[in-house]
Amino acid sequence: MNKKLGIMEIEPLVRDRYIQEEFSIIGKRGIARMCGKEKASGRAEYTRDVKLPGMLYCRILSSPYAHARIKSINTEKAEALPGVRAVLRYDDPELQGKELFGLETKFNAGHLATDGQAFYHGKEELAVTLEQWKQGAGRILDGVAWWEGHPVGAAVAADTPELAEEALTLIEVEWEELPLVLNPLDALKPGAPLAAPEINSKNNIIRKLKIEHGDVEKGFKEADKVIKFDARRRPYTVAEAEPISDVILWRGDNVEIWAHQQQAYDGKMLFALKMGLPLNKIKLHVPYQGSQFGGGGNPMMHHTHGVHMISGILSKRLGRPIKTFYDRRDTFYNLSQDADCHTSFKVGFNNDGTITAVKIDNICAKMGQYGIDHFEENTRIPNLALNYLEAQINVAPAYWFRCEQNHNALCLSLVFEHVAAELGMDPTIVALKNDGVEGKDMEYLSKFKKEHGFPDRDSLRECIELGKKAIDWDNKWHKPGTKVLPNGKLHGIGFTWTHEWDDTRGVACAGVLMHCDGTVDILSQKSDDGLNAMTTHCQIVAEEMGLKLEDVNFRMFEEVGFQMMTPDGSCNLAVDAYVTRNAARKAKQKLLEYATTPIKLIDIEYPPAFPNNYPDDLDVKDSIVFLKSDPSKNVPVAEVVKRATLNQGGTRAPLFTWSWHRQGRYGTEKGRHRMCRQAYFAEVEVDPGTGGVEVKKIVNVNDVGKAISPETCEGQQYGGDYMGTGRALAEEVIYDPKTGVRLNANLLDYKVWTMRDIDTTVNLLVETGMGYGAYGLNGIGECIATVVPGVIGAAIYNAIGEWVDDHPMTPDKVLKAISKAKAKRGGLR
Amino acid sequence: MTEKCQQDGGEKKISMKINNQEYNIVVEPHWTLREVIHDKLGLTGTKEMCDHGACGSCTVIMEGRPILSCMTLAIECGGKVIETVENLDIEKHPLVETYANNHAMQCGYCTPGFVMTAKALLDRNPNPDEEAIKDALEGNICRCGTYPAHVVAILEASTKLEGGK
Repeated sequence: MNKKLGIMEIEPLVRDRYIQEEFSIIGKRGIARMCGKEKASGRAEYTRDVKLPGMLYCRILSSPYAHARIKSINTEKAEALPGVRAVLRYDDPELQGKELFGLETKFNAGHLATDGQAFYHGKEELAVTLEQWKQGAGRILDGVAWWEGHPVGAAVAADTPELAEEALTLIEVEWEELPLVLNPLDALKPGAPLAAPEINSKNNIIRKLKIEHGDVEKGFKEADKVIKFDARRRPYTVAEAEPISDVILWRGDNVEIWAHQQQAYDGKMLFALKMGLPLNKIKLHVPYQGSQFGGGGNPMMHHTHGVHMISGILSKRLGRPIKTFYDRRDTFYNLSQDADCHTSFKVGFNNDGTITAVKIDNICAKMGQYGIDHFEENTRIPNLALNYLEAQINVAPAYWFRCEQNHNALCLSLVFEHVAAELGMDPTIVALKNDGVEGKDMEYLSKFKKEHGFPDRDSLRECIELGKKAIDWDNKWHKPGTKVLPNGKLHGIGFTWTHEWDDTRGVACAGVLMHCDGTVDILSQKSDDGLNAMTTHCQIVAEEMGLKLEDVNFRMFEEVGFQMMTPDGSCNLAVDAYVTRNAARKAKQKLLEYATTPIKLIDIEYPPAFPNNYPDDLDVKDSIVFLKSDPSKNVPVAEVVKRATLNQGGTRAPLFTWSWHRQGRYGTEKGRHRMCRQAYFAEVEVDPGTGGVEVKKIVNVNDVGKAISPETCEGQQYGGDYMGTGRALAEEVIYDPKTGVRLNANLLDYKVWTMRDIDTTVNLLVETGMGYGAYGLNGIGECIATVVPGVIGAAIYNAIGEWVDDHPMTPDKVLKAISKAKAKRGGLR
Repeated sequence: MTEKCQQDGGEKKISMKINNQEYNIVVEPHWTLREVIHDKLGLTGTKEMCDHGACGSCTVIMEGRPILSCMTLAIECGGKVIETVENLDIEKHPLVETYANNHAMQCGYCTPGFVMTAKALLDRNPNPDEEAIKDALEGNICRCGTYPAHVVAILEASTKLEGGK
C-alpha cells in the first residue's frame, strides 16, 4: 500500500484573527519586573560571575597586526610558568578540522546557518562559493590574522587570571606582516591588497547584488524633479555591558556549558556538531546576560563559538572547569561592529511629494545592509533599483547590531527628508503621500487588511497625528536654517518614519508545568537580554490560565529541551508569545478536566472538585476555579490539582502541556505585508560656534500592535533613543589608517550616551492589533535605536539648512556644514 | 596563593569592614578593590564593565563616598568601611523595590553601580530633586539607556525614606 508523504505547511499569515478586548494582566501597568529585585540588589548572576570549584582561567592570544601570518610560535616559556596548566596551540591535532562557520568575517545566513540557508535566499549573488563561505572564518586559533585583535595562535589555561595573562606575554611569535585594506572603496580598487586571500584570492568582493522593481529610468523621466546626493554611515559597535566569557565543565561523557549568548541553544548545537557530541550529553546554563544587542551574542562568531571550543577542549584535557574570558579591549575588538557604508542616491519626485523612482548605489564593508528594503516593504514607490557591493576589509568582525535594518532605515529617512526639503514641504505629508506596500498604495493595503481579518487602521497617520501633537509640530516646524534661539543656538526639528518590526519568523517551544500547589513554571530556555521576557511571558500564562501573576514563574536559565527565540520584545515575542499562550490554553483545559473528572484507582473512585459539571461549565480567575453559572461555588486551583495527585507525595507535578510554533520563514514570503508603522520627532539646538548638537526632545510613536507590558515597551523607546542619538552624533569605531590598529577600544574613548545627553523623551504607544504575533503584537526592541539617527539628521538639517549626511554627525562635520550654509546664503537667519 | 606571588612578595594582610562584617585578607599590591570584592570574596554584585574608571558599574560606598572599585587598589583599603550592593538587599533599602517597580533596569548588568551611586546620594541628601539625581548619576553608563527610569525610582525611594522617618 502506498503511503503518501505529508508536507508540513507553514502558514506565513498566521496571526490572531480575534483580538481580545479586555485583559486583566496583559497590557496592565504597574507590574514590577520579576527580575528587578535580583538585578537591583546585585544578586542576579551573569556568566562573568560564575566560579566553580577547581576552575581554571583561559586567555587567548590576539594579533597585534591588522593582517599577518604566524611564521613560527614558541610556547615553551609560557608552558614552563608555574601555575600554567595547558597551552593550546593552533597546530594542536584536536583543532584540525574545526573550522568556524564563516560568519564572523562575512555575513549572517539566518538564525542558524548550519544548513547554509541564506537570509534572503534567492535574492543575492555570492561572490564566493558556499563552501568557501562556510570555511571562511578559518580555524579556531588560526595561524592567520585578518584584523588587529584577531584571536590567533594559542590559548593558555592557568590557575589565576593574572597567570593566564602573564603566560600570553611569554609566547614568542614570529609574524609575517601582510598588506592591509581598511576602507571598502579602497578594497574594490584594482590592485588593492587582498584582505583575506584565504577566502577569496581574486579580489575583495564578498557579495554583489542587483535589485530592480519597475523601471527607474522611466520613473526619473516622469518626475518633475530629480536629485542626487551621497551619504556615509561609519561603523559603530556593540560596546556591550558584560565582557565576553564562558565556562565549560567536561565530566566523563557529559558537558556543562555556562553561556553568555543570545541564541545559546544554537551555540550548543554548533559546539555539539564540532565536538562530535550528541545534544543530550550537553547541559546548558544561561545566566542573566549583560546587554548584547544581537552583535554580541551570536553563536557563530569566534567570541562565542570559538571560545566554547577552546574551553571545551581544555576542560576535557585537564578535567577541570575552564573559564575563557575576554577583557574590555578584547570585547571591543571581537564583538561586531556595524558595516562602513558609502551610498549614492538618485531620486525622482513630483511637485506634490509623490516619489516616482529611487536608485541606490551602495558599497559596504563586510556584513553590510542593502539600503532598499524599507522602500520595498512600506512605500508605494513603483520604481526602485539597488546596486550593492560588499567588500572584505581588515577590521573587526561584523554582525548585525541592533539591528540589520540600520542602513535600510537610514536610507529611507534620507530620501524622504531630502525630497521634503527640496520641495519645502512638511515631511509628514511626504511620508503619508508615499506610504504603501511593495509598490502598491494604501487602498490596496486597506483591502488586504480587510481580506485577512485585520483591523483596517491607518497606522502611519495615527502615529504622525499623535507625535505632531506631542512635539507641537504645527507651531515649531520652520524653514531650514531660519530659527535662532535667544541663547544664540540654532533650533531644529525633524521627523522620520518607517514600518514597525513586524516580521519576526522562526521557531520556539515551551512547556507549562503546574506543581501540586497550583503554581506554574514556564519551561523554556531563553537568554535574558533585558527585554523583560520573564515578566511578559508570566503575564501571558497568568492571563490565559486565570492565575494570579505571582503564581507563575519562568525558568528561563536552564535548557530542559525547550527553547525560545531570543531576544524578546526586540521582535521575537511575535513568535514566542504563541508558544506560552498556546501551552497555557492547553493547560487550562487540562486543569478544568481534572476539576470535573473522577479518578478511579482499582476499585476506589475519587470524586473531582466539581463532580456534576463539565469543563465548559467552569472558569478560572485569581487562581480559583469557579462555576460560571454560580461563582459562589469555587475551589482554589491548588486544591483541584492536588486532588489529581490523590494527595500522594505532593511533589509530583500532575499537569504539563507544551507547545511549538513556527512563524513563517526568514524573509521569503510574498504577500505578508507590513501594516504597523512608527514615527519619530526630534528637537535639537545646534551651537553655531562649536557645531555641538544638543538633543532637547525626542517623541517616539510606535505601533506595537499590542503592548503586553507597556513599561517594557517604553523602556525600549527611551533606551533606544540614547543608543540612536549616540550613533547619530558620536559613536564610531576609529582605526589608525596606516596600521589598522583600533584607537578607541575602551569606554572612555568610544562615546556611549549617558544621562545628560538627551533632555526629554516622550514615549507613545499605538495598539492597532495589526501585528503578526499573538494578540496582534509585533516587536519594538530593535527599531528605535535603528531609526533615531535619521530623525536627528533631519533636525540638524532643519537647524542649519545644510545636510551633514555623514554619520556620526560630529561637531567638526556640523561646523563644516554650517560654513557651507553660510557660503550659500550669506548667513543663517 | 600562587608561586609567583610568593616570589614577588609585596602582598599584605589587610582588614576591611564590608557590609558590617570584618574581613581579613592577604592582598597583592596590584589587586583592585573590585577584584577582591567580586573575585575573592564572591560579592558579585560589584560588576566589571569598563575596568577603566569610565562606567561606574563597580561603584561601592567607602567611608560614605561612592568610589570606583576598579580604580582603587585593595592594598590601600586597610581599615576602611565599605558597603556593597548586597547590603541594600540585607537592609531592605527602598531603592531595590523602587528600581524593580519602575523598570529602572533592562539587562541589569550596570544596575548595581547605579543603585550604589543613588544610595550614596540619598545618604547625603535624602530629598534630592531631579537635577541633583542627574548630577550624581551622570558618570554611570547604561548601554540599554535606562536613564529616565532611574530618576523616577530614586525620587520614589526618597519619598519612602522620608515617609519612614
